[in-house]
Amino acid sequence: MDDYQTCPKCKTTKYRNPAMVLMVNACGHALCESCVELLFAKGSGACPECKCPLRRNNFRVQLFEDPAVDKEVDIRKRILKEFNKRQEDFPSLREYNDYLEEVETIIFNLVYDIDPTNTNKMIDNYKKENKDITQKNRNRQSQEEMELEVLLEAEKAQQSEKANLYVNAELEEKKQKHKAREKLIDELMFSDADAKSIVASHVQATAALAKEQPKAAAQLSSGVVKSSKFSSGVQIGLRGQHTNSFLPIPKQEDLPLYRYTAPVFDYDGPPPPPIEKLGKLNYFANIRAANITERAGGYTEAMSCCRALQEALGGLFYSPQLTHKAAVLATNASTPDTDDMETT
Amino acid sequence: MKLNVDGLLVYFPYDYIYPEQFSYMLELKRALDAKGHCLLEMPSGTGKTTTLLSLIVAYMKAHPLDLTKLVYCSRTVPELEKVMEELRKLMNYYEKEMGMEQNILGLALSSRKNLCIHPSVSKEREGKVVDGRCYSLTASFVRARHAADDAVPICEFYEGFDAHGKEFPLPPGVYNLDDLKEYGQTKRWCPYFLARHTITHANIVVYSYHYLLDPKIAEVVSKEISKSSVVVFDEAHNIDNVCIDSMSVKITKRLLDKCSNSITILETTISNMKENDSKRLEKEYKRLVEGLRDATIARETDMALVNPVLPSEILEEAVPGTIRTAEHFVAFLKRVVEYIKTRLRVQHVVQESPAGFLRDIHTKVCIDRKPLRFTAERLASLIRTLEISDLTDFSPLVTVSHFATLVSTYTKGFTIIIEPFEDRAPTVSNPILYFSCLDSSIAIKPVFNRFQTVVITSGTLSPLDMYPKILDFHPVIMTSFTMTLARQCILPMIVSKGNDQVAMSSRYETREDTAVIRNYGNLLVEIAAAVPDGIVCFFTSYLYLETIVSSWYDQGIIDQLQRHKLLFIETQDAAETSLALINYIKACDNGRGAVLLSVARGKVSEGIDFDHHLGRAVLMFGIPYVYTQSRILRARLEYLRDQFQIRENDFLTFDAMRHAAQCLGRCMRGKTDYGIMVLADKRFSRADKRSKLPKWIQEHLKDTNCNLSTEECVQICKRWLRQMAQPFSREDQLGISLLTLEQLQSEEMQKKIQQRAQGV
Repeated sequence: MDDYQTCPKCKTTKYRNPAMVLMVNACGHALCESCVELLFAKGSGACPECKCPLRRNNFRVQLFEDPAVDKEVDIRKRILKEFNKRQEDFPSLREYNDYLEEVETIIFNLVYDIDPTNTNKMIDNYKKENKDITQKNRNRQSQEEMELEVLLEAEKAQQSEKANLYVNAELEEKKQKHKAREKLIDELMFSDADAKSIVASHVQATAALAKEQPKAAAQLSSGVVKSSKFSSGVQIGLRGQHTNSFLPIPKQEDLPLYRYTAPVFDYDGPPPPPIEKLGKLNYFANIRAANITERAGGYTEAMSCCRALQEALGGLFYSPQLTHKAAVLATNASTPDTDDMETT
Repeated sequence: MKLNVDGLLVYFPYDYIYPEQFSYMLELKRALDAKGHCLLEMPSGTGKTTTLLSLIVAYMKAHPLDLTKLVYCSRTVPELEKVMEELRKLMNYYEKEMGMEQNILGLALSSRKNLCIHPSVSKEREGKVVDGRCYSLTASFVRARHAADDAVPICEFYEGFDAHGKEFPLPPGVYNLDDLKEYGQTKRWCPYFLARHTITHANIVVYSYHYLLDPKIAEVVSKEISKSSVVVFDEAHNIDNVCIDSMSVKITKRLLDKCSNSITILETTISNMKENDSKRLEKEYKRLVEGLRDATIARETDMALVNPVLPSEILEEAVPGTIRTAEHFVAFLKRVVEYIKTRLRVQHVVQESPAGFLRDIHTKVCIDRKPLRFTAERLASLIRTLEISDLTDFSPLVTVSHFATLVSTYTKGFTIIIEPFEDRAPTVSNPILYFSCLDSSIAIKPVFNRFQTVVITSGTLSPLDMYPKILDFHPVIMTSFTMTLARQCILPMIVSKGNDQVAMSSRYETREDTAVIRNYGNLLVEIAAAVPDGIVCFFTSYLYLETIVSSWYDQGIIDQLQRHKLLFIETQDAAETSLALINYIKACDNGRGAVLLSVARGKVSEGIDFDHHLGRAVLMFGIPYVYTQSRILRARLEYLRDQFQIRENDFLTFDAMRHAAQCLGRCMRGKTDYGIMVLADKRFSRADKRSKLPKWIQEHLKDTNCNLSTEECVQICKRWLRQMAQPFSREDQLGISLLTLEQLQSEEMQKKIQQRAQGV
């Protein structure tokens, strides 16, 4: 990949010597490892390019393709150790930004050796003035870093938890399937019942199981903290607004056909007018008409009207005699208890 | 004819109407009334486009305040042209019926490449180059320079438009791309900018998905479209992938090298400018200090660089001090690029969350999150200040800046994957950093939020319940329409075994098996002998296609096949494929008959119709699953599972079946058409796969046709073809699958339609 990397001193390339490693020091000029050993055998010496006095211990492996970037990052890390004020330390964002720019200028000057005397003076001044804050901030994480930490932690936790959950769920499912199959075979072997009915009941049982599973999965995943916001505070999707989302068409399951049986109501009242006639009988005069959005889904005002009528009329023929005694008994039974409680 | 759709007068430009078109109108009208989003599936070839257009235009005329604009999004330029033709027909019909000019303006918009009429720029073939050259002729500073010095070239068409075009809006009518160009030629106005300018007051706009879904483009083009518009996404079965692509970034080693070059250009330009004209840099600096948003951003020609989505509260904030001056920013960019370079130097695959990336970039090169977030914005501002006119060179750097902004903005729903080499060539080092969006709802969310009605429609949207989940929206209406047919003109069959009873399947374990390959070959040969004219075959991948064809060659199947028909193959090369297609059509037209071997998800499966004799049979060899080992896919599946409770298998099957349906639908392009659909894989007959086919295919897929051998399949084909070969006229269809106005209004039919509308 980096075959064209060349040591400026001995002209070895990465292509010819794959083991070659380039090193950089504070001046930002690269040297290969063997040259460093040769030239700095005494422990210190001058850079062959800029004649800068260098120490051998300060040589590091070059991380970036451009050694100048290595140098810059080096300086930056050094400077940022001192210049570590946070936005909280400034009265306004504007001043914080000015400060950031100042820091940036210092680093820039140091990297390109512009006006070194003044720059160093500035650094010294700053060091003197801001000793306390620097010290304090060193032990304190910035808000941003903390945010990231929290995020990473959450991610980690979520990942491990989920991995476990899903592995377990999958294993469980497999086991169950296996069990069911064995059970079926056993039954087919030993039972006297009709083979068809056994198979049919088996099919039903597996279908019922399959229906339960998604619920279980949903439960599993609800245990994990679900994020509904981006870090910027923008909500992910619509889930944040409607916690219980709806779908107009439920998912179809492969189940035996549903058969409708009319439920029997214990209504105890005069029958309300049929739903089709509500309009004619002028029942709608006093209720709010359904709006367009509601109509699109198939809702009409007749539905709620009909329900209200049912509720109003239902139970009108209800006679309390039948159950009165039981109710009285119940109240009598409960009162002594409370009395006891009060006396004790 | 004039229809009464739920109390709305609709002009329909044809004399006959299909019953499902009427039901479609009913549902669509309800969604428009409710101002909600809807999801409608109607088989291809039943006139979706004209139905949509006639209803929405009628609605716009009836409720001009509720609905002001129709934005029709289509995928390709030919599709766009088709929509314009339908619209023209409709408008002509309106004119004829009402006897006066209609006050409706409809226009198509495409990229500069398709609309440019500048004599030399329009000769360029690559879209990016056209954009770049256009920018270098029309940017505001170039024009300012021209004012001072005549030698600086500018575009006369843009100047013409700028001087006069804005005051004179386009007269009402229907303009497709050619009409716009012609109009531009006669007036000497730039058609591209004319069209962009006209978008704001046109009633009907037809353009590509990207103009709405890609945040970088949408910001510029579709910003001023009002809320009371209806947005239609046609052929939207792939919409989730489009959403994801528009938010994802891919960075290669070469791209980064180009970035380094651009950075050096920036450096030299800055130092030059400092010497000659430092005022401008100072001005920019002052503006940034004040935290004012770029005023020039509104200038329409300076649009080449735009921000990917950023929450507006961040945009209001001032650019952080670390990247305020130009030199600091360039050094900052250098560090970002170098950092990404080091990340690409990996030996094994790395997957990382955006948060992890941010922490790493902070520790390695001391870059905070905040300046990273402003990278794209700052770069755009700098390039504008430096007045760099050749933007094409900067596109790599722009990509990186988008990446930086996105990665620091979104920590959820994205992942970073760094692959040192491709899976298929593990020895060749080719490191790529994928910043992949996992959540398709992020890109489309602004669209759903902004417009009152969004219609998602296609011929194959089944299973419908998946789309609301993965796009995260709540449709008020979600319906699948079937096709009413006067005769059974599609014949779907599942062939699960060959004559030797060996199961046919493209499963990974058996796909190399010679018996399976031979069976596939025999199936094709026998069908080719029985079916007249054109046959189209779809394979699951190019790789699979190639291996199968080579072993067919060894087994002598190719020779047998060529006795019956000519053979054409789709390749990855677009030019080669289109040549094969032309010859395929030729062979079908002159009666020789031909077989086209192509690939699901390829160009042929997505955009090309094989109507009538061009496609009498479609064979689907295997289930077109995606390459499941891809890490991006894996990450997305995991995300879907965690966030939306969609199981991996459900999604994979859904994706495979929608592509299979897309392939099968190629041969049916209308009600007079007929075609055989053979699904050659054992696994298709399982309930989970079968139930995911669109309703209109499912309803013709009988249980008896679900587990056939080759021989049985051919027998059924022969019998069916004999039936289909009988003369078939319009009179046979009338009253069943084709209705006149009287028939439509008859009580019986109204009842049926009502039932259909509610039943589904």
